[in-house]
Amino acid sequence: MGLTRDLQIKVAKWVLIVDFILIIASLIFFNDPIGWILGLVFGGLIGILNFMELGRTLETAVTMNPRRAQAYAASKYFLRYIITGIVILISLKANYINALGTVIGLLLVKFVIISTNLFNDMEFFKNIFRRKEED
Amino acid sequence: MEPITGRALILAASAIGAGLAMIAGIGPGIGQGYAAGKGAEGVGRQPEAQGDIVRTMLLGAAVAETTGIYGLIIALILLFANPLVGLL
Repeated sequence: MGLTRDLQIKVAKWVLIVDFILIIASLIFFNDPIGWILGLVFGGLIGILNFMELGRTLETAVTMNPRRAQAYAASKYFLRYIITGIVILISLKANYINALGTVIGLLLVKFVIISTNLFNDMEFFKNIFRRKEED
Repeated sequence: MEPITGRALILAASAIGAGLAMIAGIGPGIGQGYAAGKGAEGVGRQPEAQGDIVRTMLLGAAVAETTGIYGLIIALILLFANPLVGLL
């Protein structure tokens, strides 16, 4: 967790915050929120663990030679893919966990990264509407 | 020979659909491996930029990985919680 420690902690913190907001929203808007809450917590935590494992994999991969790094990263990806599959399968089979909540929890990492790291620059949105002739 | 029922047809088509949806999981694996290989090349060429390279690659790889999860979700829903059978 050396090189990407700060980034991992930042993303994990944001995922937990968004997860918490979604849990509060489910408490307000749903009649039976327990399944949703369990799904969101389950999916969110597995998503964070997957992200941390990805960080560890990439930190190790960049120290290898390119060909080995390629095989190593791909094999670790399929390992994480299987874990994700087992998590979704459990949430589909278990009646007390809402599968949609789990899926949202798993995908929270992506939304957090997109909103905090890629689309957090206001200049990007201003440039969309700026005419090229003005430069 | 028994005639094919609507339910059997839906289940067979769902199984084929699940198989096709799983193809989506291969792409991110290949892409992530390729990115890691190029990242290793980059670190070899410029070792002082290792932190930046790994951080940028981590963000890109995490976003790419979710694309595979979409396909996995579709496949598992078609296999284990098929909503189409209930429509019969």
